[in-house]
Amino acid sequence: MTTDTTISAGTTADAEIRPPAEIRYAAELATLDAWDTERGHERPPGWRLSPRAVRAFVVGSEELGVTRKFYGDDPLVDRAVVSLMGRQGLMLVGEPGTAKSMLSELLSAAVSGSSTLTVQGTAGTTEDHVRYSWNYALLVSEGPSERSLVPSPICTGMREGRVVRFEEITRCAPEIQDTLVSILSEKQLMVPELGPDARVAARPGFTVIATANLKDRGVHEMSAALKRRFSFETVAPVRDRAFEIELVQRQLAAELGPEGDRPEVPRDVLEVLVTVFQDLRTGSTREGAPVKRPETVMSTAEAVNVAVAASLEARYLGDGTVTAAEVARQVAGVALKGEEEDARRLRHYVDNVVRERARTDARWKAFFTAAEPLWR
Amino acid sequence: MTGGAGAGAVWDLAPQRLRSAADAVGRLQTERGIYFAPVRHHSPACAVAVRAAIEELRPAAVLIEGPEEFTRLIPDLLHEATRPPIAVLSLGGPAGSGTGSTAETGDREPGEGAGFYPLASFSPEWVALHAGRDVGAELRFIDRSFGERSAAERAVSGPGGSGPAGFGPDASGPGAGPGHGPDVAAQPDPFARTLMSERYLAHSEAVATLARRLGCRDHDEVWDHLFESRRSAELADWRAVFDDVFAWAALARLDYEEGVLDADGSLDREARMSARVAEAAAEAVAGAGGPVLVVTGAFHTLALVEALSGAPEGAPVRDRQPEGGFGPVAEGEAWLVRYDHERLDGLRGYGAGMPSPGYYERLHAAHLRELAVEGTAFPAFGSVGATGATGATGAIGATAATSAAKPGSTKRRSAKGSAVSGTAATGPAATGTAASGTAAGAAGTVSAASGPVGARALAAEILVDVARGAVDRGHAVSLPQVGAAAASATRLADLRERAFAGRTDLLDAMRSCYVQDDGGVGGPGEPERPLGLAIAEVFGGRALGEVPPGSASPPLVRDVRKRVRAVRLVVDDSLPRTARLDARRTASHRAKRQVLALLDFVGAGFGQLVSGPDHVAGRGLGLITEEWQYCWTPLVEARLVEMVHLGATLEAVAVARLYEAEARLAGTGAGSVPGAAAASVDALARLVAQALVIGMGSHLPRIVTLLRVTLDTDRDVDSVVSGARRLLGLWQARVELGAEEYAGELLDLVSQALATAAYLVSDLGKVRAEDEDAAIGTLIGLRSLLRDAAAADGGAADGSAADGGAPDNVVRDGGASRADGAANRIAVERELARLRDDEGTAPAVAGALLALGFTDGEVADDVLVTRVRGALSAGADPGAAVRFLGGVMRAAPDLILHTPEMFDAVDDALRTLDGDAFLAVLPDLRRAFTWLRPTETHRLAKRVAERTGARVDQVDVRVALSEEDLATGLVLDRELVAVLERDGLAHWGPATEATRAVGAAGVCTAGVGIAQVGTAGGEA
Repeated sequence: MTTDTTISAGTTADAEIRPPAEIRYAAELATLDAWDTERGHERPPGWRLSPRAVRAFVVGSEELGVTRKFYGDDPLVDRAVVSLMGRQGLMLVGEPGTAKSMLSELLSAAVSGSSTLTVQGTAGTTEDHVRYSWNYALLVSEGPSERSLVPSPICTGMREGRVVRFEEITRCAPEIQDTLVSILSEKQLMVPELGPDARVAARPGFTVIATANLKDRGVHEMSAALKRRFSFETVAPVRDRAFEIELVQRQLAAELGPEGDRPEVPRDVLEVLVTVFQDLRTGSTREGAPVKRPETVMSTAEAVNVAVAASLEARYLGDGTVTAAEVARQVAGVALKGEEEDARRLRHYVDNVVRERARTDARWKAFFTAAEPLWR
Repeated sequence: MTGGAGAGAVWDLAPQRLRSAADAVGRLQTERGIYFAPVRHHSPACAVAVRAAIEELRPAAVLIEGPEEFTRLIPDLLHEATRPPIAVLSLGGPAGSGTGSTAETGDREPGEGAGFYPLASFSPEWVALHAGRDVGAELRFIDRSFGERSAAERAVSGPGGSGPAGFGPDASGPGAGPGHGPDVAAQPDPFARTLMSERYLAHSEAVATLARRLGCRDHDEVWDHLFESRRSAELADWRAVFDDVFAWAALARLDYEEGVLDADGSLDREARMSARVAEAAAEAVAGAGGPVLVVTGAFHTLALVEALSGAPEGAPVRDRQPEGGFGPVAEGEAWLVRYDHERLDGLRGYGAGMPSPGYYERLHAAHLRELAVEGTAFPAFGSVGATGATGATGAIGATAATSAAKPGSTKRRSAKGSAVSGTAATGPAATGTAASGTAAGAAGTVSAASGPVGARALAAEILVDVARGAVDRGHAVSLPQVGAAAASATRLADLRERAFAGRTDLLDAMRSCYVQDDGGVGGPGEPERPLGLAIAEVFGGRALGEVPPGSASPPLVRDVRKRVRAVRLVVDDSLPRTARLDARRTASHRAKRQVLALLDFVGAGFGQLVSGPDHVAGRGLGLITEEWQYCWTPLVEARLVEMVHLGATLEAVAVARLYEAEARLAGTGAGSVPGAAAASVDALARLVAQALVIGMGSHLPRIVTLLRVTLDTDRDVDSVVSGARRLLGLWQARVELGAEEYAGELLDLVSQALATAAYLVSDLGKVRAEDEDAAIGTLIGLRSLLRDAAAADGGAADGSAADGGAPDNVVRDGGASRADGAANRIAVERELARLRDDEGTAPAVAGALLALGFTDGEVADDVLVTRVRGALSAGADPGAAVRFLGGVMRAAPDLILHTPEMFDAVDDALRTLDGDAFLAVLPDLRRAFTWLRPTETHRLAKRVAERTGARVDQVDVRVALSEEDLATGLVLDRELVAVLERDGLAHWGPATEATRAVGAAGVCTAGVGIAQVGTAGGEA
């Protein structure tokens, strides 16, 4: 499970909970394809769209009626698109909730027309997930053969010349990560079981977009050899308050259903929530007063979790309305993840910033009253 | 639909005013021979175009935006020994009245009236001067004189304009909108004040819209995208370039109201410039003939065109021209000074130029090389006819199309393309053939040839240089990475539809390919990293200019002489003299002290403080008079000459020095070591003290901002506490420092420091045994800080500070911070209480806290006794117990005398110790009792005698040490050290003087029991 994908635009209530980007935005992709053809834009070998169209798909284009899907850092998108044209893979690093996975999904949907060739990195990921494995029934009856070989997404991506996504790569053991080294540099995968010369050669268009969370398990656990095979791009957290409130609202609807079916989360409560997260994330309040930043990731995804939990608390334990007090209690749960130091930082925040705001603002007062005993 | 879809559609989008202006440009060329070269300051693209224009037009006169008194300096500017970057330095004050009035008024607008007119090798103005000279044109500066300009600006900003209104972190910076009046008010640093402001372009709505549409991050990238990314040959097509620059700036100009332009003197300047242009054009027609080329910032071109062509929109400018013309050229003093890229780059923060001078210098050189390689330096143009007008209109149309909000009419990144093609292809019928034909031809030549060798080679060169710089600093960049970056830069340029990889493409490529982790490149807004430094070095450039020998005597020296004389210090000879000052009571002494401190601060080597209160070092604060020795030697003048490049006035130099100090402390300065420790609060508080002592209070906002940030990052509670005490000390000395107006701010800072201290104070509980002493020192400091802060808040509250400060100010500023201050004091006290009651707190710290708490009445008698008994009880670790006792004794030595229960507890504890344990803790125990004064020791001895039934004189042994004893002891000590050293055991030796003294005294006493211990300590 990745937290990143929780930030996304589509909430269509199809049979599938969340269809991949190439289905959700099929119309836009078609428009861009037509645009490329009309303009004669050059498409790199193996690409469905031109780099310009890929860019337009991600950052939007009024002219073509393509919506903006990624906010905040257009040069980053430029760099990412260009990196995909190069020999190296693309490594998106950043805190959870910065829409890395969304960006990787959008890029692969635009470049390859599909975003489904995905390896989900976990501590349990093995080399088989990265290279190939076998259908053991066939293997036993026929021996190693093309038929009994089960290709990994990476293997498929190489054969078909498509972009492969590797989510949360730093959660895999370094040895498993390193399987990628030779694949990325040689652009081929040897299959010794099928004979000395058997190999899968990558076709143009094959590349890997990896995402890594800095806080889970740092990128520093990646070998230097692998690092050299990637262009690194750091995705910064959402800075725009209104945009973040909107993201949280949208995500709440996705998780708990439309307004009316669930406890209402008033906008001003969301504002408190997002303000707390932004204060703690950036290390300073909007007024510029310094705040101690906790080690815990105060990501948008976590803000959504808090909002969801606060809604549930209000529904099952409270009177059905979400107030800043519920938010305060849930923030404590999110923020206090064992770090001794964090408790101190939050106490400092409540003691100073919130106490001050509580004097003049009822919402903050509710937050303060609920938070004070928690963070003693 | 694009710009190429039809001239008509595009044409409709251009505002009527611009269409008329474009026509007027054509008429002025044909009818009066006036050509315009609208430029952006320090733009290599414009520089190339200016040279092309001059070489083709061979004008009779080249008129350049810049104070008209600079015309006199043109021979010096063209002197063969002059090497850019240089600047023309102007001083304020009315023309003809000698040097500025800054010194007399002695106000807090240091350096006011100094203005710089920087010229780099790639500045269009610089190129215009040289190219003009080469074709034999007459060269003139045509702007309003600097004296008039600054007088007008002063008048507008008014007397209140220089006050501490902007004090605080959000002081109006360069980001302040155009509605904020003249440049000076918005610029925090007078030294960086330039006469080439372009704030309007940076903040224009039209440019911002353009940036959004083009996907550019800021107006600099818009400029790069539209102009600097053109190929050399395209730039040589100066008509197309200037048409587009004109359109670009004119659109921005339409965003501004006449009132704004009037308030900052733009209209007055344009009145002068247009009048001078008209004069020159008339002369040229009357004289040898030939056109006149007007090189000005593009923002002014529209106004000049409208004023000269008689358009109704030009009336506000024309109305400012006096009946009989402006008369003879204004007088004014100006000097050539050396300038450097760093400073030029620094100007960008003030909206006064392009960033990355190092990069643009190379780009300009690359253009020149490429044009030289092509042989025909510049394409031959057709007749000099009414072609500019058509180009201009096309460009305006195209650019307007991109900025006007018409959905579906533009595509991303199309502005440049359509602007160029608009010039080439969509010019209204008329006579556009010559220009458009050439433009198309030039473009054709380039695309047919092997591409822009110069600029492309430049990209590789820069990538390699940055890589090398990064490697030198320890950041590995491999050759494949450089290759990848080159490919990436080219692809980015292609994606962004640029002819070659420009500044942002290169920066992005390096970010992609040179960074192998999540740390970014480092630099502004990020922690400093080797790569960021390497980029700064290459893009910032390192050039330092040269001025011809024999330029007029530097004004700085004269300024200092005058300042020193004004406060009646003797500078007529070079004899050492002494000045005794009473700054607290005498204003004139205060002025003297300030000048002496200023000169001391800038490093002129003029005077030095011999005795008296030193607020910076925090020494002798109780003293009233101070004594300075000073001496005006040739060395002082020599040092001042060396500083000329730092500023024209003593204040300006001091400002530069302040910046240096600040940069050093912020860890961003050139001299700082990468990875050096973060700034400390105490060091910054020192800087605040320094700024106040030298009367530079107006620069506090920046330092204070830095201090606020540092308060957040400094993890050293001692530094925070010392810094806060220093600040509070400044507040107490506010009258003699003349710093009443900052009183509120100082208190506010103290309050913030208290908040930080509240956060950090729990660290004190975790110190190791050897750091306990320092921790207790910090605690004691913190306690007096709390007390003083409470007193200060109280003083500020009743409005009549003890020494009669300015009540108005204090009350106003103190109001808000008083509440905060109280809250933060309570926060600290809360934390201290927590620490005191925490089991895990280091024993000595806990003891000290307990003692302090008892003294302050926060800890009840019985609590104290219980805790002391607990800590010293039989089962306790003797080492920890003695450390605890040491903490108590250090914080409140007399407690043991006044609290019988405590005396009992200590006595019981010591009695129950067995011999070995006692000997083990004896040294610490001895130290613990050294905090008692001799009389107290005596009283304690009496008490011990009563308890043990002995006679006092048996217990209170007075050990009389004569000087001989001391000498013998010292000799012994030295011999011992020598022996230890001989045996390779030097580290056994005593570490400090203090321990040595204690040790020497300790030799003389030995024995068992509390009394001896106390006595020995007391005597030591």
